[in-house]
Amino acid sequence: MDDGRPIFLQIAEQLESQIIDGSMREETQVPSINDLAAFHRINPATALKGINLLVDAGILYKRRGIGMFVAEGARQRLVAARTEAFQDQYVRPLVAQANALGITPEQLSRMIGKEAGQ
Amino acid sequence: MTAVIEVSGLTRHYGKVKAVQDVSFQVEEGSICGLLGRNGAGKTTVMRLITGQAFASAGNIRVFGENPVENAEVLARTCFVRESQIYPDSFRGKHVLRAAAHLFPNWDADYAARLVDEFRVPLDRRMKKMSRGQRSAVGVIVGLASRAELTLLDEPYAGLDAVARQLFYDHLLADYSENPRTIILSTHLIDEASKLLNHVLVVDGGELLIDAEAEDLRGTAVTLVGGHSAVEQFAAGRETLGWDSVGGISSVTLTGLSDADKAAALAAGLELAPVSLQQLIVSRTRGTIQPEEATS
Amino acid sequence: MTAAATLPGPAAAPHTSLHRMVTTMRVHASNPWTILATPWLVLFAVFALNYAIWQLVKMAATGPLAPGAFTQNGGVSYVLVYMVVVAVQAMNQTFSFVVGLGATRRDYFLGTSLVFGALSLVFGAGISLLAWVERATDGWGIGGAFFAPWGLRTLPIWQLVVIYTSLLLLMFFGGSAVAALFVRWGANGIIAFFIGLALVIVATLYGITVTESWQAVGDFFTRNSAVVLAAYTLPISAAAGVLGWLLMRRATPKG
Repeated sequence: MDDGRPIFLQIAEQLESQIIDGSMREETQVPSINDLAAFHRINPATALKGINLLVDAGILYKRRGIGMFVAEGARQRLVAARTEAFQDQYVRPLVAQANALGITPEQLSRMIGKEAGQ
Repeated sequence: MTAVIEVSGLTRHYGKVKAVQDVSFQVEEGSICGLLGRNGAGKTTVMRLITGQAFASAGNIRVFGENPVENAEVLARTCFVRESQIYPDSFRGKHVLRAAAHLFPNWDADYAARLVDEFRVPLDRRMKKMSRGQRSAVGVIVGLASRAELTLLDEPYAGLDAVARQLFYDHLLADYSENPRTIILSTHLIDEASKLLNHVLVVDGGELLIDAEAEDLRGTAVTLVGGHSAVEQFAAGRETLGWDSVGGISSVTLTGLSDADKAAALAAGLELAPVSLQQLIVSRTRGTIQPEEATS
Repeated sequence: MTAAATLPGPAAAPHTSLHRMVTTMRVHASNPWTILATPWLVLFAVFALNYAIWQLVKMAATGPLAPGAFTQNGGVSYVLVYMVVVAVQAMNQTFSFVVGLGATRRDYFLGTSLVFGALSLVFGAGISLLAWVERATDGWGIGGAFFAPWGLRTLPIWQLVVIYTSLLLLMFFGGSAVAALFVRWGANGIIAFFIGLALVIVATLYGITVTESWQAVGDFFTRNSAVVLAAYTLPISAAAGVLGWLLMRRATPKG
């Protein structure tokens, strides 16, 4: 749990990551609010807020009387959204750091190629 | 959402000492509200006023919509537990639990028994002879098993070690999830409890300093670290909560930074470190600290 | 936003007040040692002392003793005054606990008053019973009168019950007024009380002297039977109770 950011965001992001890496498949049930709250040791209202965020984004949906489920196509949507954010979140700091060290874009490309090839 | 507690202009003074000064806030039904502040800030006084055990010098208190003073209907739905609770000299742990069972309509004896086992409370021992932690455990058990709609816990874990405290938080959270109620928790161990809180009230010198949702407070402050001049430049004209300097490096804690501001700070080569709720509140209740002269 | 389970509604309120009063009584009763056992111990200790002295006097006496030699003693008053101590102790200990746990002062006061009333009756009847035994055994075989000394010796038992119960009520409720003073204002309150009491006594004595009513006062006490005099203490006990309540209404539990 990160101190600097709202917890409900972190909860949502964690669930998103689990959907993306496949540990939570589409049409499977997501842990209940109380279970999430107990696991992360947070207030249930906060867990609910995080879940609702994902419901609003269409990532989760509610089956009355049963619970929250991962929506169809959720993984695809998340991957698309994160790919878009990838540039700002990862590439920009990478380039900034490389510049600070005097690494040229060509050197950077080679480094990336070497890493990706493994 | 209904407000379980509505307080306006609440004041309590003892002669010249103003224990509580013109405090106004609301607590919503079903929230876990942290009442935070330094020792002597007025937290316990506020709780005593809310439960009608102390009398206000001025102002208005409404609990469940009514004045709580000498109000049996309101008080039957309230449970106030504190470390400083007085027990009759001859009272043993079991007597306390028996009295609680009679006073609280929603009392769950089975749950209390399980908690007694978990916290390892020697029920046959006199309250006077118990250790501080054991006394606190009795208080915690009363507070939890009472299942009162409004439960006030005043530093309930004095004397409990870290393991027992975690046990307390876990039980509080679990029972709150199963049996929602409004909880007011006063503590100076802010970080430990912060994830459980919805709502935060910070009291300092009898006045209400902060009244906010926990999630809104979280992330409002950020610490910037970097070269002294860069830091000073960035902090100019902003509300600073704290300064620190070592050699040519300075750190400043600021509030009210937007995402754009944070990006600008990063671009300027400064490092951003998160500020925990406890750090935030400690800074706010300590007053702003001015930067010292850099030595190099 | 719906919570996982519904919030609990208000508790069944019909006899909340009664519950709290009964709980107060239970809190007092949970320590029978202070309020029941100790006074009896005090009583028996004083009695035993008196009895021992009687026996010693009898053994040492060279001639027959004057009739009623052992009937003029006030030992039983020790226990009466001790009840004031019991009342103060009981209230001081339990007030902060019961009100601290959420009972109203009113319910606490009513419950405690009931306990005091019950104790007055129990002790009053108990002492009267012992007085009956005393008479049946011809003064414990030695012509003594401890439980019903002086003029009480010849009174019917039911009158003894009334007299002792009334006196005990006075002691308990007087004690509760003192306790309420202490709970409200601490040691300063007690000091103020005793100063005030002294002033009242002096003022009364002065008033009686100035109006030359000593004869009237004397007549009042001699003309009225003990039972009637005891009955006169009841309004005083009630007043003490009311005073105790008025003081307690604004008292803050410690802790």
